[in-house]
Amino acid sequence: MPSPLLEMRNVTKRFPGVVAMDDVSIDFRSGEVHAVIGENGAGKSTMMNIVAGSLQPNEGMIRVDGSETAFPTPLASQAAGIRVVFQELSLCWNLSIGENVMLPALARRAPLLPMASRRAGHAAKPVLDRLGLSSMDPETPVERLTVAQQQLVEIARAISQNARVLVLDEPNSALSPAESARLFDVVRELRAEGVCIIYVSHHLDEVLELADRISVMRDGRLVTTFDKTEETTTADLVTHMVGREMETSDQYALREMADHAGETVLSVSGLCVPGELEDAHLEVATGEIVGIAGLPDSGTAVLADAIFGTVQRRGEVSMNGIRLAPGRPAHSIAAGMAYIPADRRGAGALLSMSVAENTVASALGRFLRRGFLRRRPIRDTSEEYVAKLDAKVASLGQTIATLSGGNQQKIILARGLVTGPKLLILHEPTRGIDVGAKAEIYAILKSLAEDGMAILMISSEMPELILHTGRVVVLAEGQVSGQLTGADITEEAIMSLATVSHRRAA
Amino acid sequence: MSGGASLGAGAEPARPASHRKSASILSRIAARKEIGVLLALIVMCAFLALATDNFLTTLNLLNVGRQISLLGIMAVGMTFVLISGEIDLSVGSTYALSGLGTGMLIVMGWGLLPALAAGLASGAAIGLVNGVLSTYGRLPSLIATLGMLSIVRGAALLMTDGQPVTVNERNGALPDVLERFEFMGQGYLFDVIPMQLVFFALVALVGWIVLAGTGFGFRAFAVGGSAKAARVSGINAEGVKIWAFVIMGTLAAFAGILSLAFLPSGQAGRTGMGLELDVIAAVVVGGASLSGGVGTILGTVLGVLIIGVLRNGLVLLGVSPFTQEVMIGLVIIIAVAIDKWSTRNRAG
Repeated sequence: MPSPLLEMRNVTKRFPGVVAMDDVSIDFRSGEVHAVIGENGAGKSTMMNIVAGSLQPNEGMIRVDGSETAFPTPLASQAAGIRVVFQELSLCWNLSIGENVMLPALARRAPLLPMASRRAGHAAKPVLDRLGLSSMDPETPVERLTVAQQQLVEIARAISQNARVLVLDEPNSALSPAESARLFDVVRELRAEGVCIIYVSHHLDEVLELADRISVMRDGRLVTTFDKTEETTTADLVTHMVGREMETSDQYALREMADHAGETVLSVSGLCVPGELEDAHLEVATGEIVGIAGLPDSGTAVLADAIFGTVQRRGEVSMNGIRLAPGRPAHSIAAGMAYIPADRRGAGALLSMSVAENTVASALGRFLRRGFLRRRPIRDTSEEYVAKLDAKVASLGQTIATLSGGNQQKIILARGLVTGPKLLILHEPTRGIDVGAKAEIYAILKSLAEDGMAILMISSEMPELILHTGRVVVLAEGQVSGQLTGADITEEAIMSLATVSHRRAA
Repeated sequence: MSGGASLGAGAEPARPASHRKSASILSRIAARKEIGVLLALIVMCAFLALATDNFLTTLNLLNVGRQISLLGIMAVGMTFVLISGEIDLSVGSTYALSGLGTGMLIVMGWGLLPALAAGLASGAAIGLVNGVLSTYGRLPSLIATLGMLSIVRGAALLMTDGQPVTVNERNGALPDVLERFEFMGQGYLFDVIPMQLVFFALVALVGWIVLAGTGFGFRAFAVGGSAKAARVSGINAEGVKIWAFVIMGTLAAFAGILSLAFLPSGQAGRTGMGLELDVIAAVVVGGASLSGGVGTILGTVLGVLIIGVLRNGLVLLGVSPFTQEVMIGLVIIIAVAIDKWSTRNRAG
């Protein structure tokens, strides 16, 4: 058997106070799709950063084609034919699609040699076509693209350079099903050409669809690597990842919840955001979890901000019959709304502040006496909610930036709950959160709904909508194209509503 | 690995409500961001105490205290502005306009309190304009206050016609008003402590309480750390920033008034020229971040002390004024570099 294309032998990587990779030996072969899965903090991204040359292992070695090597810099890794597409995009916003795709080639040119945007676009065309971006003008600046399109441009840049190893880290978190399918086709083509694809993902069904071999990491160790077979199920993967069996049976109980819905809390009518939403209608009642589904450009992205009032809108948004003015988040909170945005690090967490401060930020008025902070109640309240939501924090004074995604999300949730809301709006509540923490968040939402909270959950994750909502409202082209309840909530039904075209029908 | 990760847990010790159950007092002190600046200050003082005969004398120390007071008063205001994620370049001009304006009113025969009130109000108004331009006007505060730097300086020149303003009886100041005005700048509390230093101490104390212990301070940290997340939390980010600018403008005016009370003469073409950079340097040396969300009043006071002790020490050592400028520049760069490097190490 030939030596593997890329292998790690006994690699250990320590950070102050934590062993991120513990004696990991793994090999990646030419012509395979090798999925790497694990909860957040399991060590996947450390491994990818070592492969990319951004981090150096403390112990162990890396071999390429059987000979020992090292990647002291990202350039060394790239010179070995390794291309890494990280989840966080690294495009140059001011440059065109073509220039971004051709950037590595452009970067090697002499500094003063001019390179026309049109020529870059021309050179980038074949790879753009391959990813299904043929309809895009390569001279469009990338800042005008949707997040999904930007992600594809990033991937186009990686595959334009004849990579031998292509690392995709959560490549399709923003992609529509059609775009994902196209990406998967390209991945399969590359595999047939002998490229090794390392695929890091939380989406276990995709992993099963795509992978030849699967490696599972937990707590910095490689738990197992095995060949995927017809018999492999997502439940097997989850068991390896969390090291225990997951409860799934009672998740279906939510489906009955739609019947228990009480009086209307939120009512939205004629909601418009130029270019995003036109005339959307929606109601949410006490005790129900309503999901919002839709393709990436259907208006789901701005719906939460439009309802909460953090973007300009037209139309009517009422809480318990009282009409809310846009642009006044403080009024929305006072009326009983709590909002958990999708961009956890950018718009959710007060990143530089402590756990305690984050917990009370939305209800600050209650923790002031004549303008002065009341430390004891702040600490007590924060302690209470940290315990209630079972957030794992070292201390209440710890900055929220140092928590894992799941625990950050719990603290942001706590911040909303401290205000005593009647309606909870969650946008992508579990994006980038590991399986264990996801299940805990679903359980929290369920118990809140049972206590009478109205919950609106906007999500691009089908299983989340199918398993954890009682009713799903589907958007297409900025309007509501239909809704599903109970057992009718299936992936097929959601997709058929999501692809309705109002314009064609009109 | 992303940008936010550089905010290590040790960076926020002075925040309200932060507590560590398990940390010992010693490690809590060591984790304070100000510790590096404090150590630097102690080393500098120890060196000067050994190297010169007159550094460690009451007279000299009180002298240093007086010299740093005006810078310090403005630095407290700048701490609020930087923490809320903005910057104010117009403070040197405000210092001149409000100080000279107050002097002109006194020369015109106004009472002390009305003249002071008018002077402080002019500073607050300039701060309000800065704040509104930088928030609702959607201008970067660097640009808005750069424009205001020039506009306010020009207004001071127009107001004084470029002539020096001298506050004395011959020019028309009422004797009792003049006496109390001069006491503010030149007097001593209990015949030892310069009044300027007393004012600085009061401003720093109030600033510390407001920043560390009130809802306004909390909101300033929230807005400066992440304006979007603060908005989602229901915090009026624009309001917080505008207030920070108003506080800054008022304190710049106050420092300008004290300066005229000390000297008793000033000229719009010279007074407070380039002062904004000294103020920003002192605050940044004290650990505040130009990108917002980080900083303490204690750090700022230490930063001001470092600049003050350094200037005093270099004079006592007989270093030429030209070399002094070079040294001060080096200290600014070294202090901030040490802070950045140690923060990065903490984040791992």
